[in-house]
Parts: sequence; structure tokens; C-alpha cells
Amino acid sequence: MEPEPDQPKVAAGGGHRKHLAMLERLSKRSSSSAGAPPSDSSDASPVEAFLSRFAGAKLAAESALSACRSDDATASLAAAAAAIDNIDRLIAEASHALPPYELRAALATAADLRAAHRVAASELRPKKSFSFRNKSRNLKNPPQDHVTASPPQQPPPEQPKPSLDAILPGFGFRGKNGATFVKDLRVSNDKDGDFTLADLVSCEVYLKGKCRALYIHKLRDCRVFVGAVLGSVLIEDVQGCIFVMAAHQIRIHEARVTDFYLRVRSRPIIEDCSGVRFAPYVLNYEGIEEDLKDSGLQEETGNWANVDDFKWLKAMQSPNWCLVPEEERLQTVNISEFHEQEDDS
Amino acid sequence: MGLLSIIRKIKRKEKEMRILMVGLDNSGKTTIVLKINGEDTSVISPTLGFNIKTIKYHKYSLNIWDVGGQKTIRSYWRNYFEQTDGLVWVVDSSDIRRLDDCRAELHNLLKEERLAGASLLVFANKQDIQGALKPAEIAKVLNLEVMNSSRHWKIVGCSAYTGEGLLEGFDWLVQDVASRIYVLD
Ligand SMILES: Nc1nc2c(ncn2[C@@H]2O[C@H](COP(=O)(O)OP(=O)(O)OP(=O)(O)O)[C@@H](O)[C@H]2O)c(=O)[nH]1
Ligand SMILES: [Mg+2]
Repeated sequence: MEPEPDQPKVAAGGGHRKHLAMLERLSKRSSSSAGAPPSDSSDASPVEAFLSRFAGAKLAAESALSACRSDDATASLAAAAAAIDNIDRLIAEASHALPPYELRAALATAADLRAAHRVAASELRPKKSFSFRNKSRNLKNPPQDHVTASPPQQPPPEQPKPSLDAILPGFGFRGKNGATFVKDLRVSNDKDGDFTLADLVSCEVYLKGKCRALYIHKLRDCRVFVGAVLGSVLIEDVQGCIFVMAAHQIRIHEARVTDFYLRVRSRPIIEDCSGVRFAPYVLNYEGIEEDLKDSGLQEETGNWANVDDFKWLKAMQSPNWCLVPEEERLQTVNISEFHEQEDDS
Repeated sequence: MGLLSIIRKIKRKEKEMRILMVGLDNSGKTTIVLKINGEDTSVISPTLGFNIKTIKYHKYSLNIWDVGGQKTIRSYWRNYFEQTDGLVWVVDSSDIRRLDDCRAELHNLLKEERLAGASLLVFANKQDIQGALKPAEIAKVLNLEVMNSSRHWKIVGCSAYTGEGLLEGFDWLVQDVASRIYVLD
């Protein structure tokens, strides 16, 4: 049957502006229906009341963030986190009463503050051996993880807490500090499998060959080189890393100060990221052409530079990512000479 | 008021069903819809917003709403609940680490009154990947049996990559919805 003419047919991958317009229109529907929480001043409209409380909370967060550069940075960070949590709560309470534009603007502000907080927090962290950009000035006060609402920043490398993951381990490398891993998926029988990298600190990972899906979780100061992924790469919670990878889809969440050298068929996406940079794929090893070709990745689509930031749905360039300047980019990395070993740890 | 009222008008005229596809990001919703519609699946971007497809399926016309599952846009799911006849929840069966998230989001959704009458099909997708959990295991982790008395549901293992299981799932869903809303045929 033919598509209905009066329904929007939105092709995957294009027309983002249209998507957004539609989202806005649809979200208007729900904003009219809801029970708004009572505002605390009776003469102002709920929207005005929200806007004035929001402005106050924003100011509090901003001044706490700027105080992070001073002596008692840890306390300021904690104060900033609390102020941002407060903003989130304000938004959540008012979300039913707010018109879509105000809601989006408020959410965008909260996301920006969150990102600024993460940057401030990461600037306080001690330098690690694989730090590529030496942003850290203040090494005196190791930050405390419980001050932020985000997941703990320091992974426990020796004892990952028992989870479904530990009960049902698939193929992968987990819970190591300072190790080098080489895996050739062509010699083992894992080419139709998925692969996981989790809880690694200061590790180097070389994955030759092909796999169907790659999951990456909680990496600090690692360098990761990957052949071809037939499906998607899902990345969550990484910091201070370099990734070189080719895949059909690349989805990046909660990455901070990390470089991605990509070949990708569709547009890479980021969500809750800050300080991430992008460049074209630079991996080489004997047989890589065949692996890429078999996976439909032989063609350079140029999509490595077409990043969509789900936290920045505006026409302007997102402040959360940029390209790696050409003079800073890695040269081609040839890993032909790296071979699998028994145990690297 | 646009879209929804238009759809409501056309609906029922010619045996339409409204199917809502949701699930975590990366679970394979868009790939499933394109595959079942016989379209190219080699270049798919993560969904920013949603896609709508009208697919002729046996004697029914399915209006399939494929909504993006990235965290940032999950809060928009509720804008699509109205008038849903069939709900498809897609699971990435090889993403074991996020199954807790997946269960929480699903049960959140099922509390929604506007979806109370909808039949639920759970697709345990990506079965082609070695090491993916089997449908029975997914059913257990997602705690699906709590719905036994409250809702028509079924879990089907599938692969949007090979196409396996997709028709079995949609056959069940369409039959189940039809038996409720088009009783008199
Ligand atoms: N191996 C394998 N990969 C799959 C399968 N289904 C989907 N994929 C891959 O999984 C990734 C995500 O698929 P999408 O269809 O974009 O996922 P989605 O659920 O629409 O994601 P959002 O739009 O973000 O909500 C893509 O790289 C697909 O190629 C499957 O059955 N097997
Ligand atoms: Mg999609």
C-alpha cells in the first residue's frame, strides 16, 4: 500500500529540523493537559514563577562553578553539583506547565552546567600516564566521587562489582590496570560474536578482525584500536582515551576529553559528552582492507565529522565536540606486528 | 491540531492498526522496521525524533511509529501513547549490562494508563550474535510474567540482521490486536 500522503514520512538520517519541529508540536499537546504544581507566588503565572526560580538556581550553580578555580575546589564542586541537582528538580517539577521552548531552553542550560561541572571535575583529577592533553593543573586535591550525581569516576579495576556482566561474561577484556591486550578475532571463532571492554585503566587494546557488536564501558586513559564492527559500537563513560575504530554505527555516551578516529557509515552520535574530538580512521594491519570490505566499511563516507549531539539540538555548533586539528592528528597506526599473547597482565 | 487527529480520522476506515515501537537506544527498532518493509538496512543513523511507516500487512494497514530510544529523548515517548493498539518493545539481547535499565524503562512504560489496552510484543533482537541471551532468559530478566493476568504479551527471538523471527512476531501481534478491535470479521 502507498504511504498516506498527509502523513509525514521522515527518512532515517535526514530532516532533523523537521523532526524537531514535530517534537515541539507534539510536546505542546502534553503540556496543556497536565496538572502543574502550584507556584509559590500567587500573582505570577507558573511560567514566570519558574523562570525566576530557575534564574536564581542558575546563578548559584554558575558562581559555585567559577569558585572551583579557587582553593577549596572540592567543596565548590560539591556545591555546584547540588545547585545543578536543584535545577534539575525545578525543571522536573515545572515540566508539565512549561511551554516547549522554555522547557528545551531550561534543559539545555542544565545540560551545559552539567558539562561545565564535569570539565571542572576532570580538571581536578590526578594526571595519569596516558594523559594526552595536560589540562590538569591542580593535582593537590584528589576529587571525591560522591560530590557529583554522575557515576563514580574511578573504576575499581581489581574487583568489578558482581553484576549480570560478571555472571555471564561474553568475549572481552575487563577489570585491568596498565595492561596491553591484543586479540585477533580472525584466528579465534568469535567473528560472529560481540566484544566487550569494561573497567580498564591505562590499558592499550588492539583488536584485529571483525565482530558484530562492540560494547565499551568505563575506560580511563586507554588507547583502543579496532578493526571492523559490522553493527554498532556503544560507548559509555570514558575519559582521557583515544579510540580508533570502524563501524556501521557509533554511539558515544558520557565521554570526556577523548579523541575518536572513526570510519562510520552513519552519523556518529554523542550524548552527555564534553571535550570530545573527532578525526578520520588511521588504523592499518595486514588484511585490514579485507576486513573492512567484508563489513561494508571500505568506503570513506566522511561521516566521522558529521557528529550529532543529542544534548545540543540546535543549528549552532555544539560546544561539546570539535575536530582534532590536522597538525595534532595521529599518523597511520600500523599494528601488523602485534600478536596475541597468553596473558598480558 | 494536526497529526494525531488526522490519524484518528483515517483510522478504522480501512483496518488500520497503530503500532508503537520503543526500547533502549541501539536495540534495533529502526533496523527491524526497515527490514520488515524490505528496505535497505545498510545505512541507519540513530533516530533523532521518530519515523513513521505505513505498511500493508495481510489485510491490515499498520501505522508503525518508530521512536528514538536515546536517553535524552525517552521523555518524549509519552507523546506517542495515544491510540496505540500494539506495543513492540525491542531488546538488544547481547547488551547484557543494560538489561537492568531495559527492565526499568519497560515497567515504567507499562504503568502508563493510555497503553493499558495494548498488546505487547517483546522482540529479543540480535539473536544472530553469539552470546546473545535467549528469549526465555530475557523474559526472566525483564520479569515479564508479572503481566500474565493483566495483558496479552509474547516474547519472540529475532534478528533484524537475518530477518529471522520478525514475521512470527508481527503475525502474533497483528492477530492479537485484530481479535480485539475487529471482532466482527
Ligand atoms: N548483529 C545484529 N545487529 C543488529 C541487529 N539489529 C540491529 N542491529 C544493529 O544495531 C545497531 C542499532 O540499530 P538501530 O536500528 O539503529 O537501533 P534503534 O533501536 O533504532 O536505536 P535508536 O534509534 O537510537 O533508538 C545498528 O548498528 C544495527 O546494524 C541484529 O538483529 N543483529
Ligand atoms: Mg532508531
